[in-house]
Formats: sequence, C-alpha cells, structure tokens
Amino acid sequence: MKRTFISGASKGIGFALARRLSDEGQNLLLQASSDEGIDRLKDQFGAKGHLFWKSDFTNPSSITNELEGLLRDFGTLDGFVHCVGIRSRRPLSLFQLEGMQAVMNANVVSFVETMRIITKRGYFNPGLSVIGISSISAHVGSPGVTAYAASKAALESSIRCLAAELFKKSIRVNGLVCGQVNTEAYHELMSSKESEADPVLQRQYMGLLEVDQIVDAICYLLGGSSSQMNGTMFPAHAGFLS
Amino acid sequence: MNTQEIINLFEDALEIEQNSLSESTNLSDIPEYDSMAKLSLIILSDDEFGKKLSGEQIRDFKTVGDIVKFLSAD
Repeated sequence: MKRTFISGASKGIGFALARRLSDEGQNLLLQASSDEGIDRLKDQFGAKGHLFWKSDFTNPSSITNELEGLLRDFGTLDGFVHCVGIRSRRPLSLFQLEGMQAVMNANVVSFVETMRIITKRGYFNPGLSVIGISSISAHVGSPGVTAYAASKAALESSIRCLAAELFKKSIRVNGLVCGQVNTEAYHELMSSKESEADPVLQRQYMGLLEVDQIVDAICYLLGGSSSQMNGTMFPAHAGFLS
Repeated sequence: MNTQEIINLFEDALEIEQNSLSESTNLSDIPEYDSMAKLSLIILSDDEFGKKLSGEQIRDFKTVGDIVKFLSAD
C-alpha cells in the first residue's frame, strides 16, 4: 500500500487529492492547521485509517518537533504533496513584517523543513515523489501580491535545488504551476475583490481550472509515468503563461 | 474613532494629503481611488475595525461618507 503525506489537506486541492488517493486505497497522513480542518478530514476519512495531524505551518517549529514521531508510526513515504498555501493580497503601503513571514513560513519554509525530515534514511521509499503547488504569481507580477508571489517563486527555486540534490537518493521533486482554480479560496477571493470580473481569466484564456484537473496532474507527477521528470514546473495554468 | 479620524486614515491609505476629503466627496472624483486603493480599504477595514468588507459593499459606496458610515457602525 502506498503512503502519501498531504499538507493543507482540509480544503481545496489538498482535500480533493486526499479523496482521490484514499479512493485508490492509499494510506494518507493528512495535515490541517485548525480544529475545524481536522474535523472535516475526520468526517470524510475517519473510517479509512488515515493519520490526521493538526499543525500550524506558519510556525515550522511544529514540523521540527512533531513530524519524525508521526512518521515512525505512519511508515515510509512514497509521496509528499505540499498544498499548504496562504494567499495574501496587501499593497506595499500596508505591508506587515509578521504577515510576510507567515506567508513565507507556510508556503516555502515549511516545505523545506518537511523535506529535511522526510528524506532522512528510514522515512521514505526509493522513488519518493514530491510535488509543491506553485502559482502563476511566481512568474507574472501583479500589484498587491508581493508576499504570495515571492513565496511561490522561492518554493519553485527550492524545488529545483532539492531535485538536483536528492535524485541520488531516488527522490524526485517537481512543482505544479497553477492558474486560477475553482476552489472555495478562489470564491472567497473573488467575493472580496473590488471588481466583479476576474482579470486573471482574461489571460487564462482556456478558462477557470477545475480541482479535478489539478488532481489529475498531481497524480501524474506522483506516479511512475513521470519517472523521468525531476525539477520541472509542470504547467497547469490554462494558457495563462503561453 | 471619530469621523475626521476615519477620513484621515482613508487619506493615509490613499496616500493623499490630509484633510483634502470630506464626507460629501464623491469617490468617483478621487483620482487615487483605484483598484489598489480599494484593496487598501478592504485591508484597513479588517486591520483597524475588524470588519470584513466585500467587493459588493465596496461597489455600493458612492461617497467618503458611505465609507465612514460603514466603518463606524456598531
């Protein structure tokens, strides 16, 4: 039975991925940052024997202190998908140091710290496939999203470096560059936007992506069909960057 | 926070001169009131007043007084 760790599993892409992999019979370690998130996971997957972990990824020391113990119980990993992502919109004039640090911690520092731990001998199986969820924001500037865009660009750079560093251990690390995806977070974002139309969709000319399309791409990167892919940024942006 | 203090805060967010706006100023007459200014207003409302401001509510604002009324309401 394959074992996969999904961070940010209680919502959006992470939740849909957990459902898909659970249906396929995988054993999952599912992280969420809140009691509400853990309750949602237990409601959905309580009877499936998965392991649930409440951890605040804006404070990566919780990863340092808790993940190794969890992995000893859970078993060696075949996959890790980093779906945690704080979306932040804030003009420079209202910049807050703590806010930027929280975004960087959740979106990239927690990823690197998790990688440090799960790639220790005894915690992974050869062929471990790791995927970080990135964004078109890492590639195209737009006002107000400095912290988020910087964190995703840092995530992509860390993925490329780790891919080059870890391939000798038979570990692959790839990123998925997502455009706008039809998730709850997207609808929350749009309800707080000052304009009714989403300007991103003018450029994302193939339309809003559905979560299942993103899950399909993640499953491809997790599986053996992508065994030669390493350090890549797989495009899932419906034409945005073309 | 009184009306003038709220207006001053709004002027700060728009990076325009203090005391240049009044409750009766039409938002459409403020060149700086663009999409980034509206984003600043959303964040200001949350940070300073603990109020979530939706895009729909923003679109309903016509004057500076409408914003003051929203932010100062209990």
